[in-house]
Amino acid sequence: MRKWAVVWLSLLLALGLFGVTLRVLMEDVPETHIIKALLPEFEAKTGIKVEFEIVQYSDMHAKLVPQLMSPNCQYDLLEVDNYWAGEFPAAGWLEPLDEYVKRDNFDISVYLPSMLNMVGYYNGKLYMIPMYNYAMGLIYRKDVLEDEALKKKYKEQYGRELTVPRTLEDYVQICEFIQANTDLYGSAMQAQRGDPIVMEWSNYLFTLGGDYYDDKWHARINDEIGVKATELYIRVLKNAAPPGALSFNLDDAYRVMAQGKAFSMISYNWMLPQLDDPKKSKVAGKVALEPMPGGIGLNGGWGWAIPKNSQHKEEAWEFIKWVESPDIAKRRALMGGAPTRFDVFTDEEVVKKYPWYPKVMWLAMYAKPVPEFQYSAQMIEVVGRELSLAATGEKTIKEALDTAAKELDKLAKLAGLWKK
Amino acid sequence: MGKRRGSIKRSESLAGWAFVAPSLAVMISVVAAPLVFSLIVSFYGYTFVNPTFNVFLGFENYKNALTDPYFWNSLWVTVKFVVLVVSLEFALGFFVALMLDRVVSFKRVYYTILTLPMVMSPVAVGLIWKMLLHPDLGVLNYFLGLLGIGPVNWLADSTMAFWSVLIVDIWQQISFMILLLLAGLVSLPKEPYEAATIDGASEMQKLFYITIPLMRPVMVAAIIIRTIFAFRTYDLVYVLTRGGPGISTEVLSYFIYRKTFMGLNLAEAAATSYVLLGVVMLFVVVAFRVVYRSPHEEM
Repeated sequence: MRKWAVVWLSLLLALGLFGVTLRVLMEDVPETHIIKALLPEFEAKTGIKVEFEIVQYSDMHAKLVPQLMSPNCQYDLLEVDNYWAGEFPAAGWLEPLDEYVKRDNFDISVYLPSMLNMVGYYNGKLYMIPMYNYAMGLIYRKDVLEDEALKKKYKEQYGRELTVPRTLEDYVQICEFIQANTDLYGSAMQAQRGDPIVMEWSNYLFTLGGDYYDDKWHARINDEIGVKATELYIRVLKNAAPPGALSFNLDDAYRVMAQGKAFSMISYNWMLPQLDDPKKSKVAGKVALEPMPGGIGLNGGWGWAIPKNSQHKEEAWEFIKWVESPDIAKRRALMGGAPTRFDVFTDEEVVKKYPWYPKVMWLAMYAKPVPEFQYSAQMIEVVGRELSLAATGEKTIKEALDTAAKELDKLAKLAGLWKK
Repeated sequence: MGKRRGSIKRSESLAGWAFVAPSLAVMISVVAAPLVFSLIVSFYGYTFVNPTFNVFLGFENYKNALTDPYFWNSLWVTVKFVVLVVSLEFALGFFVALMLDRVVSFKRVYYTILTLPMVMSPVAVGLIWKMLLHPDLGVLNYFLGLLGIGPVNWLADSTMAFWSVLIVDIWQQISFMILLLLAGLVSLPKEPYEAATIDGASEMQKLFYITIPLMRPVMVAAIIIRTIFAFRTYDLVYVLTRGGPGISTEVLSYFIYRKTFMGLNLAEAAATSYVLLGVVMLFVVVAFRVVYRSPHEEM
């Protein structure tokens, strides 16, 4: 009797010791559900339980900030969007990972440099491990571009072949042409105020060679390129987008595309497997991915990080090591995940299943992220508001961008980055 | 005698305090304490990135808030929204309540249907309506299309978006008005009506000379409560439009939310909140002064 009691007691004790539960706030995107499906393996291997709280992107920042400021974070592990990759380390909320990496010989050389710069290092210190990428590109309907009647008409009208657009002007023209000549919308846009419009518009800005700030952190969003990018953006919005696009976020835009009502979208590369899935989409088999017309799109990505005030730092690191191990990283990719590592992008099995992944790697290598600094979130907020005002016609493009530039300068000065 | 009565009174009031203490403690910790904290915060350079009381700014935050053109826009949107939503809900609600007061059969069915939108969370309501209002895939435009009315751009047109939010809010909140007013109507005394009928008063006369004067306290209470709630509308805007397109549906509470969690500027957001509090207080005080006089005072 007593023997059994001892056994039970020690078992309970062991459970108590290993029965750590890691709580993680995750965005409601395919990658999250892929990892969730693999979690039982981690739990079986380590005895550490992992609990995902899955929410919409727009709720995450507001949920995370109070937790990160409090003495005890209820989340033991974070996924950090590149929008916050400047803010969180600058505020001192993240645990530097250099020591962990060195101690356990964790190989970070396999990650794309663009990913490591975006969601890895901040001011020379490693705070995050790149988790997945959402570099943006052009998703379009192959069948529309192959339509003989349309091709003929386009050639008559413009004296050129109707092909995949390679410059932004081409793209705008093709979208307008298709909306005028078919019952499809040219571009399923996501122009809702806030981060949807900013993300989509950034592709237009970057591909023309524009940027938010120059080298000295002076705002240059209102220069000639900025104005031109915005003009083209609003032209598509007016002539070649669904009528409700000004209130669309990525889900709304996806629905329009998946219903087969649009020719193209400037969107996240992970949209493609979703649109190619016959269970979820009417256009499966008809869609393809290309780089943003003009070459440079918006890079985006998430990184794993450990909050400074986490209760279970070692367990969190244990999880990162597992989820980013070559085997799991590859399996995530095979399940439709968006990799961040060379070896996964070019893995034979992965490429066989997703032939466009090398193209995604190309996107992610050349794409540019939004400026990362302490006030990135405010910057997005300001630019999103002003773009939305310009799009509704309540302000002229120049006025809106000038206001944005003024506030961007203020933020750069506040962060101590603005140089004379 | 006097001494004893005093001690009874004292022990009575002590007992009273003892009874109130628990709820008072809760109220202080969840209402008063945050209010005081945000008041203090509003005078400092307190932000999420730098959460300290190192920089005393005095009224700087208030000045910044009041000189921000977007603040004035939000205030205007809010006032427009509150006035329209409350008056429309009141007019429609009173009308429906009068009709329901006459209904004899199926009363329970009507009541159940009426309470349904009210018990739904505004976020759920917003999401449902967002689908209904979808310009391409929405049911509403489909039916309008059958009638030959072209697709309405419910949420992405800067004038229409405001009205769409208004319609959804009315759809959800009107039951509150109806139920409150109906409760008032049901509890009205029957005698004045009988007397008026005998004297040969018409239905219209009964409405204007009996029902409305007797209903006044209930009506005022309903309007004030609804006004206070309407000022706080946030969830619907959040789900339906995010304050857009542009800034056409940016009500003040949503403006403050954005300042706090997107702008991370807690201090200025707190100052703006206090301005909002001031506006609401002003509204309520004026409403009480002007409208809330008992019928006896008038006579």
